[in-house]
Amino acid sequence: MEKKILMGVQNVSKTYQMGEVKVHALKDASFELYEGEFVVILGPSGSGKSTLLNILGGMDSPSEGRVFIHEEEITDYNDKQLTVYRRDHVGFVFQFYNLMANLTAKENVELATEICKNALNIDEIMDDVGLGDRKDHFPSQMSGGEQQRVAIARAVAKNPVLLLCDEPTGALDFQTGIMILSLLHKINRQFNKTVVIITHNTPIGEMADRVIKMRSGKIVEMKENVNPMPPERIEW
Amino acid sequence: MRKLDIRLLRLLRNSKGQFISIAMVVTLGLCMYVSFSMTAMNLKNTVDYYYELTNFGDIFAQVVKIPESALDKVKEIDGIEVVQGRVSFDVPLKVEDDKEKVRVRIVSLPDQEKRINDLYMLEGKILEGQPKKVVVLEQFAKARNITVGDKIAAYINGRVVQLDVSGIVASSEYVYLMENEQALLPAPEKFGVVFVSEEFAQMTFGYQDSYNELLIQIKDQEKMDEVVKKLEERLDRYGVKRIIEGKDQLSNRMLTEEVKQLDNMSKTIPLLFLSVAAIIIYIMLTRIVKNDRIYIGVLKAIGYGNYEILSHYVKFSLVIGITGAMIGNGVGIMLSGLLAQVYVMYYNLPLLRSQIYYGYMVNAILLTCIFCIFAGLMGARPVLGIMPADSMRPEAPKTGGRILLERIPWFWKHVSFSWKMVIRNIARSKKRFVFLVLGIALTYGITVVPIFQGGAMVNMFTLHYGEFQKMDYSIDFNKPMNRKAMIEVKQLADIRYIEPKLEYPFELRTGWRKKVVSIVGVPRDTQFYDFTNKNQGSIRLPEKGIFLTAGLAKVLNVQEGDLITIKNFIPGKDDVKVEVKGIVEQYIGVNAYMNIVEMENTLTEKGMITGVNIRSKDRVQEKVKDIKHVAVVQSVDDMKNSFLQFLDAAKYSTGVMMIFGGILGFAIVYNSTIISIAERSMEFSSLRVLGFEKKNIYQMITKENMLMTVVAIILGIPIGYGMCNGIAQAFNTDIFSIPVFLTPDVFITAAIATIGFVFIAQLATWKKIYGLNFIEALKNRVS
Repeated sequence: MEKKILMGVQNVSKTYQMGEVKVHALKDASFELYEGEFVVILGPSGSGKSTLLNILGGMDSPSEGRVFIHEEEITDYNDKQLTVYRRDHVGFVFQFYNLMANLTAKENVELATEICKNALNIDEIMDDVGLGDRKDHFPSQMSGGEQQRVAIARAVAKNPVLLLCDEPTGALDFQTGIMILSLLHKINRQFNKTVVIITHNTPIGEMADRVIKMRSGKIVEMKENVNPMPPERIEW
Repeated sequence: MRKLDIRLLRLLRNSKGQFISIAMVVTLGLCMYVSFSMTAMNLKNTVDYYYELTNFGDIFAQVVKIPESALDKVKEIDGIEVVQGRVSFDVPLKVEDDKEKVRVRIVSLPDQEKRINDLYMLEGKILEGQPKKVVVLEQFAKARNITVGDKIAAYINGRVVQLDVSGIVASSEYVYLMENEQALLPAPEKFGVVFVSEEFAQMTFGYQDSYNELLIQIKDQEKMDEVVKKLEERLDRYGVKRIIEGKDQLSNRMLTEEVKQLDNMSKTIPLLFLSVAAIIIYIMLTRIVKNDRIYIGVLKAIGYGNYEILSHYVKFSLVIGITGAMIGNGVGIMLSGLLAQVYVMYYNLPLLRSQIYYGYMVNAILLTCIFCIFAGLMGARPVLGIMPADSMRPEAPKTGGRILLERIPWFWKHVSFSWKMVIRNIARSKKRFVFLVLGIALTYGITVVPIFQGGAMVNMFTLHYGEFQKMDYSIDFNKPMNRKAMIEVKQLADIRYIEPKLEYPFELRTGWRKKVVSIVGVPRDTQFYDFTNKNQGSIRLPEKGIFLTAGLAKVLNVQEGDLITIKNFIPGKDDVKVEVKGIVEQYIGVNAYMNIVEMENTLTEKGMITGVNIRSKDRVQEKVKDIKHVAVVQSVDDMKNSFLQFLDAAKYSTGVMMIFGGILGFAIVYNSTIISIAERSMEFSSLRVLGFEKKNIYQMITKENMLMTVVAIILGIPIGYGMCNGIAQAFNTDIFSIPVFLTPDVFITAAIATIGFVFIAQLATWKKIYGLNFIEALKNRVS
């Protein structure tokens, strides 16, 4: 089957000011993302992978270079268009879940679906992530793994084409981490969503269709896995 | 309900204390706005309606004597619609207690249908032409316990005349019952008005077929000046004493002033409260937005736009404001009903036209919305600058540096470590410091005002009776007497010093400005008047020329050295021009002063006086009461005491103002402390981990607040001074001028009160600090 290109990244660089220091976070990155692909971006902290993810998600704009989705250039977008892009095309999962503390699990998901056009059925999604009976709990009443599952539900329920996950297992123990990875894998396969995970945890790369390795703001290696390992068998 | 709105409501629920305290400030402000505005409006309408009902006159003229037949001539003046004559005289009332001097004004009522200044019958019946029957003004009847069927006795022309009370009435002319401008406060047990038939009055006072007062209605209010001018000319031959326009009529003027003051207050105080609320909301939102940085980033990542997020926070401000506005409206309406009742009672208005003006409620809500939206937008503005990606990164540390004080080594060396932290903390967040200091300074200012007001009235009276007027007694004769009358007074009582006095009303003019005032003539070397100019320097009466009180000089727009015209009402005397030789300070009443000799020469008759001023420790009132020509004996001490009694009542309003100031202060300090604690939970947690006790942290915050309070109080002194000046200006009338003398005790009392408010607010935050879970705070990136 021929792979369809979802996103194109061409010679993207990013520098930003942090306090009194100028940081070259990303240097001349180029690659493509395909529809339904499971990609893991690997690298130590400070390698520029979060910056890359933010640029892919329309959360940040590059200092140089161009980014396309379905042949449309998002680097041309203004603030408003970027908002619409994030609303309709992208789902985010963060390392620290970032749920609204004073909204219940279900309300956190609804917060996202309220503003988009093709939202999926929330109750079904809640069941899919295994939280059908914890819908009315507040984040403070849930474990880290449960909170991350809410965050995934929040991202998926919008029915985006692209799911961007920033260290989704970073704050979780091994068991819970594996469970979250399985969930993301299931979503990738079941809903045919492109999933991009960034992590410094090398073994996670084994479940990916493709691994992009980064160091000091540069892409140093790109490798396809012919036979990705099921997440349940990963160990670290 | 949208999920962001749910979040908003829960956010509000979690900050109940702050929500309630800010909403309360809004409530107070709008409650005052709605109730004062509505009361002012209702009061005005009531008075207007009352005037219409009783045919309130447009012009009141006093003459020596005018025959009935001349009234037609007066009516011929272009612009005059109705003219009505009456006889009016002030006479002593016979009362049980000989020491008590009570005066009544006997006023004739024409025997006709549509009377000008008609009476409002409350009890009994109108005169029906019967002689010796009187109807009594309600205030006086109440104060002296006079009821229908009673008999009262007055001294008229040296004999006692018995009068039967046939009714109790209200009069639009005496809503505010005062004998004259010099009276200052109504004393209904000392002065009253009774109405008799015209025939009886004319017969008794020797005014057969003639009058000494005219009530006039004109066709067009615009032509008032023209009519008055012509009237003056026409009445000249009848010895015109005064022509008073309706707007200057004493009772009406007092009422108008009251309505105006109420209206002014309704416009200024609420704005102050709303501004304070807006400032607190602004600070609170700035902090919330800062705290919500990551959430805002997440919202943006999910696809929420700036507008949606901004309106989320503006709604926060609006909910507080509108809650306050709704309660304020409700309480305001209730209060306006109550206030109107109080005013109606205080002023003895026989009726009340009261309605709810929804316009004010709409205004209140609109005004609140404007303030809150503005505060909300300003506070939430940083939302626009938050980039979703940036918000996920830890914030860059603020550019640090040494603070100014650290560059003064000898000072910094002597500051203890905990104070160093306190000072650095304050210096680190300058904006918060500025707002908090301003807020407390404002509280301080608001607290100074009522303390000052309470003291100012006392000051006003003690300065007037004691510093300015130094006599013990002041005696007025019932007609001008020869100077020999002084000897008679001297013989009757043990008198240390006596001075003659000449007091007549004249109209003073410059250009189109004019004012009728009493000119008081006293000896140049008077021991009883201490004239001071605005620099508080004593000045002596000039041989020729005139002194004006500052208020009068302002009305006439004249300065020292200007010439003014004195229009002479005394028949056969010409108008004269005199030079203004000095502007003198006088806090109560408006007068002009002249050398008595010069006054006799140019304005009145030689050798005649109208009264005397006395220094004596004797019981003068008792001793001179039998002198036939003595009309009034005033003891300056008694006057002062009755005012001070009146002031006791004013203490309540001082208390209420203090409480308002306290609520403001509490809201400001409580909110900013809560915000400060929330902002620094991470820092406090680190301190706890290092081994600081909760007590130490609480002490640190207390020290910060203490330091800021001290700075705020210093800053608040000029603010308070300015506010007092403003209040004094606003309350100054022709009759009163409040001296702005702020003694250190005013500032000290206000400082103690402010520290008290800060302390209470500080106590309220105690729970927050003691309840701080420092481990949790350290774990979370979001505090």
